[in-house]
Amino acid sequence: MATPVRILVVDDDPEMRGLLAEELRREGWQVREAGDGAEAVLACRGTQFDVILMDKNMPGPSGLDLLPGFRRTCPGSRIIMMTAFGDVPSYVEAAEKGAVDFLFKPFRIDDMKAAIRKALGLQPAPPA
Amino acid sequence: MKHLTTRLVLLVMLAFLVITGAFDYVRLARERDRLVTVAATDQRVFAETLALAVRRNVRRGRTTEELQELLEEIRQRPGLVWAAIYDPKGEVVAAATAWDAPAPPPADHTVTLALERREPRSGLAEESGGKVLRHIQPFRWPDGRTAAVEVRQRLDAVEREFAHAVRERIVYRLVVLVLFVLAILAVTRWSIARPMRALTQGARAVASGDLSQRIDVRRADELGQLAEEFNRMAQSLEQAQQALLEQSEARLRLERDVQQAQKLVAVGMLAAEVAHEIGTPLNVISGRAEALARGIPADDPERRHLDVISSQTERITAIVRDLLDYARPRRPHFRAEQPGPILARVTDLLAGRRRDKGVGIRLELPPEEVQVLADADHLQQVFVNLLTNALDASPPGGTVRVTHGPEPLLPPEGRASVLRGKADTPLVAIHVLDEGKGMGEEELAQAFQPFFSTKRRGHGTGLGLPIVEEIVRAHRGEVEILSVADRGTEVIVRLPVLDPQAREPADGTAAEAPPPERPAREA
Repeated sequence: MATPVRILVVDDDPEMRGLLAEELRREGWQVREAGDGAEAVLACRGTQFDVILMDKNMPGPSGLDLLPGFRRTCPGSRIIMMTAFGDVPSYVEAAEKGAVDFLFKPFRIDDMKAAIRKALGLQPAPPA
Repeated sequence: MKHLTTRLVLLVMLAFLVITGAFDYVRLARERDRLVTVAATDQRVFAETLALAVRRNVRRGRTTEELQELLEEIRQRPGLVWAAIYDPKGEVVAAATAWDAPAPPPADHTVTLALERREPRSGLAEESGGKVLRHIQPFRWPDGRTAAVEVRQRLDAVEREFAHAVRERIVYRLVVLVLFVLAILAVTRWSIARPMRALTQGARAVASGDLSQRIDVRRADELGQLAEEFNRMAQSLEQAQQALLEQSEARLRLERDVQQAQKLVAVGMLAAEVAHEIGTPLNVISGRAEALARGIPADDPERRHLDVISSQTERITAIVRDLLDYARPRRPHFRAEQPGPILARVTDLLAGRRRDKGVGIRLELPPEEVQVLADADHLQQVFVNLLTNALDASPPGGTVRVTHGPEPLLPPEGRASVLRGKADTPLVAIHVLDEGKGMGEEELAQAFQPFFSTKRRGHGTGLGLPIVEEIVRAHRGEVEILSVADRGTEVIVRLPVLDPQAREPADGTAAEAPPPERPAREA
């Protein structure tokens, strides 16, 4: 692949963010981290991300609130939302606002990678 | 009732006595006259006979002694006081006197008159024993002059007979009166006392709460009408009571449903909150375990520890998910509903909540043609929550206003506000305004957070407004809270209305609608 895949991880929990970033980097993807909506917006200005992996529940504007803005400022980014399990209304709202996929925490790392591959239009990874 | 019958009987008796008394009085007076006349006639005949006998005897030259003997023979005549023979000079020649009577006096004025005019006279006279009947019969004395016989007779027989007649009449009247009274008693008992007793018993039963009581009086008269009216009244009362009962039962049921729903929602919100809070740490744990597991072959005994960590995080997830599923509100059934009647029902339900503190509700319902696509139960829950909050926030004597219209009731000066959701237009806005002390910016910001409550501990779950928000959002509406310190709080629920005619897009509408964007990039 000529250009590396760029992924933005937005989550206010540093442990979670760290875990996700580590795992994604293992796949050879370029990862940027953002702790809240403002950081995410800033990061988005400089770089065109292929995928934005964003938590719904964050202090300040929630992932759902940020969604329409990202859709406008970086129309090329595929957005995958993360939220607590059972939060079906958010799922519906996120889908309406243009998220391409949704992950209910806790999810398996492999499931997350599969979702990203799907969003990128890649073939599923070969079994490890 | 006894009094009524007694009074009636007494009245009828009095009337009876007056009428028959007058009648009997006249009759008895006439009877007495008749008796006196008969006695007088009898006496006259006797006096005439005696006069004839005396005249014959005198003409035959009988002596005074012989005349006296003649008279002695009539002394035994019943009722006789005395009989006397007056010579033409008016002197008593001979006399027969009852044993207890005084001797006859010399001729009085009446005798003299009879002697002068030679005509008989009769009438009443006073004797020591009372009134007596007298008759003077003149006859020719041998010398051609006029003499007379006078007979005086007591009225004993007449009085006796009259008394007898009176007694007879009284007995007769008494018998008639008794029969009459009995007849009246029977009639009143049958036609008044009995139906009256039935009415009284019925009224007593109704008064003591037995509204099923009916009176069986089938008559065409006034009492029958009264009974019929009474039955109708009892029926109306029974129906009204039934309606009240049903109403209060419906109210209880509604209250129970609302409470139950609230409880369930509380569990659901708590579970959702827990899910939100534990989702991330669980993910970190399971993710790290997954990462570790990659470096350990599947057949390594150490691998088991990581598998246990993974399965146990899944188990925690399952527990909270079960709780979420249990408390998940049922899916709304959307139908065309009129918010007006739902509001009216809820107001009716809650009107009594603070009535003891004099808190009133002023209700202006949206017009009937306003229809929204809604789940009636959920909408009802919204109104119950808002009205409960408003009533609880009201000071004693305050008024809660429930109304509709585009503009807020609170003035913009010093007004804090918070808005949730986004309503499609055209919409109907329902306002619930209290006269409480209001909320500041900080409190307002937290108002929609689950378990946040400004009410005293144990008086609020802190779920009322979150539920309102959830339901209003599900109805594609919005909810706004406006508050002015010391003036009150106003909650506005805006719901899109079902009105094809009014569906012309207003200016603001198109700009607010989400831009119709297609997916940005092809893969």
